[in-house]
Amino acid sequence: MKILLVEDEAALRSTLVDALSQGGYVVEVAASFAQAYEKVKLYHYDCVLLDLTLPDGNGLDLLRVLKADNSPAGVLVISARDGLNDRVTGLDLGADDYLAKPFHLSELNARLRAIIRRRRFQGQHHVAFRDLLVWPEQAEVLVRGEPLTLTRKEYDLLLYLLANPGRVLTKEAIAEHLCGDAVDAADSFAFIYTHLKNLRKKLQEKGAENYIRTMYGVGYKLSVE
Amino acid sequence: MKLLAATNRYFMLLSIGLFAVGSGVLYAGVDHAVRNEVEEQLLTQRQELEAWLARGQPLPAAIFSQQYSASLRPRPLGYSDTLLLDPNEHELVPHRQLTFRVAGGVGQAPAWVTLRKSLVETDELLVATVGSMLVLLALLLGGIVVLHRYLSGRLWAPFRHTLAALRGYDLQQHQPLALPTPGIEEFAELNQALTHLSQRLVADYESLREFTANAAHETQTPLAIMQAQLEQLLQVPALADDAAAAPLLAELYGATRRLSRLHQALGLLSRIENGQYTDAVPLDLAALVREKAEQLAPLLEARDLTPHLHLAPTPPRRLHPGLADSLLHNLLHNAIRHNVPGGDVTVHLTDNVLEVSNPGPVISGDPARFFERFRKHNAASESPGLGLSIVQQICAYYGFKLSYEFVPAGARHTLRVVLHRG
Repeated sequence: MKILLVEDEAALRSTLVDALSQGGYVVEVAASFAQAYEKVKLYHYDCVLLDLTLPDGNGLDLLRVLKADNSPAGVLVISARDGLNDRVTGLDLGADDYLAKPFHLSELNARLRAIIRRRRFQGQHHVAFRDLLVWPEQAEVLVRGEPLTLTRKEYDLLLYLLANPGRVLTKEAIAEHLCGDAVDAADSFAFIYTHLKNLRKKLQEKGAENYIRTMYGVGYKLSVE
Repeated sequence: MKLLAATNRYFMLLSIGLFAVGSGVLYAGVDHAVRNEVEEQLLTQRQELEAWLARGQPLPAAIFSQQYSASLRPRPLGYSDTLLLDPNEHELVPHRQLTFRVAGGVGQAPAWVTLRKSLVETDELLVATVGSMLVLLALLLGGIVVLHRYLSGRLWAPFRHTLAALRGYDLQQHQPLALPTPGIEEFAELNQALTHLSQRLVADYESLREFTANAAHETQTPLAIMQAQLEQLLQVPALADDAAAAPLLAELYGATRRLSRLHQALGLLSRIENGQYTDAVPLDLAALVREKAEQLAPLLEARDLTPHLHLAPTPPRRLHPGLADSLLHNLLHNAIRHNVPGGDVTVHLTDNVLEVSNPGPVISGDPARFFERFRKHNAASESPGLGLSIVQQICAYYGFKLSYEFVPAGARHTLRVVLHRG
């Protein structure tokens, strides 16, 4: 899956490239509006990660270009500017999603996957992991072909883990993913623990392997080994 | 006490004193003059009588017994006051009398003559004179007091205007005070000084606000780099070799996250102040509350809290979606944070009132200060204490009335937002 990362901040750009490449994406970068414009005109991408504050232009204009060209690429806006207004404007202009800087890389991964799933497969796509099969559109989880009943939050948690196989997910990232942002970390760690315990129990009851690892003091990880 | 009332009081005290002394002096003076006059008349009569006797005429017979009487028995000499019965009117009438001895002629015994003059007419004169003078004096004093009141009311009007302007002054409107220059020099100077002061205030406030906004924005990019790189660092397999390293990094990651949330909150506050959220779309508040409660369900569960949502269907309300979200999020989050285990979070939504209440321990301190920035109930809390400030700022932005109430029965805290109609 091919992604264009439009980001002018070099340090952030390289970190994002690392993280996205680890997630199995082919990443191309653009550091300015002009570069990004040229690339979206020449090539096709599955998704464009778009920073709004560029040295030579406004990322929202690039979004307008993409929409005017009827580009099939999904657009995920990442911005350090006024979160609330950019979110509204970006989504109004047809962006698929919005992430305010700073964000969790695992959250970026999950959102990217959701966008690509919606765009490329019109939702008719499943996520497979070992003995697990998930149909996100129907919110259906199968363990070795048998349906698994999960609560809404347990399902969200499982999908979040599946979006980041092999990655350590911090407690903060999980808490914010489940409850929306601006949730006090101290408040939320207890419920993450509870939900994970329940999820593990349900998976075990269906005979799934225990591939959710606890990273002591850090968070959790979906083990790929 | 009002300045006007204070000066008026001294003015009145002085007037009453002057009035009392003045009436006393006036009475005594007129009385004295009238009596002098009567005595002089009596003396003249005496001289006439003595002259009459000196010509060898006998004492006249007593025609008007009230005014003249003679006796062969000695009487106390000189002037004195007496009361005589008026035979016609049957009442006692005050008289001034003069008694003197006349030597009798040859072969005649000396006699004591008393001349009298009624004081009734002079009393009436006294009353008329003193009365009219007093009425005049009273009118004068009363007039002066009223005039003083009226004048000071008029002269102090610019001061009251200034006071009203100061009372209604709101720094957040970013406007210096526009005070007129009244004719009275002192007030003109006062207004000038105040206008100058407010201009400086506005400028200082403005630069502080810009600083906050810029600082919040400029730190987001480095924070984003820090956070992303720390998260990448957490993925490094070598971390598994040292059990202490990963938790250390995780702490650092958590701290970075807190810092960036703090900056986001500050940035949000300053942008609301700047009025940058003018977009508004019709929103169904009831649906939003339900959505938020659903989102925060894990937090509610973790604390064993029961949500009670009493949401009357309301017509859509035009609000900025982000601000509405932030308002509800902070109200609910606050009710969750300051709750007791096993408690509840109750939301009442009617046409124009949104009420969020929860049980919780008594909070000491002034409720008005709960809305201050960085105000924490628990100093050790990870929350920066900006939630209620944001709520207040959003309410102020939309002109909603926000109030806090604590009911000791059941120890419930209630935050009430009175929304505009429509």
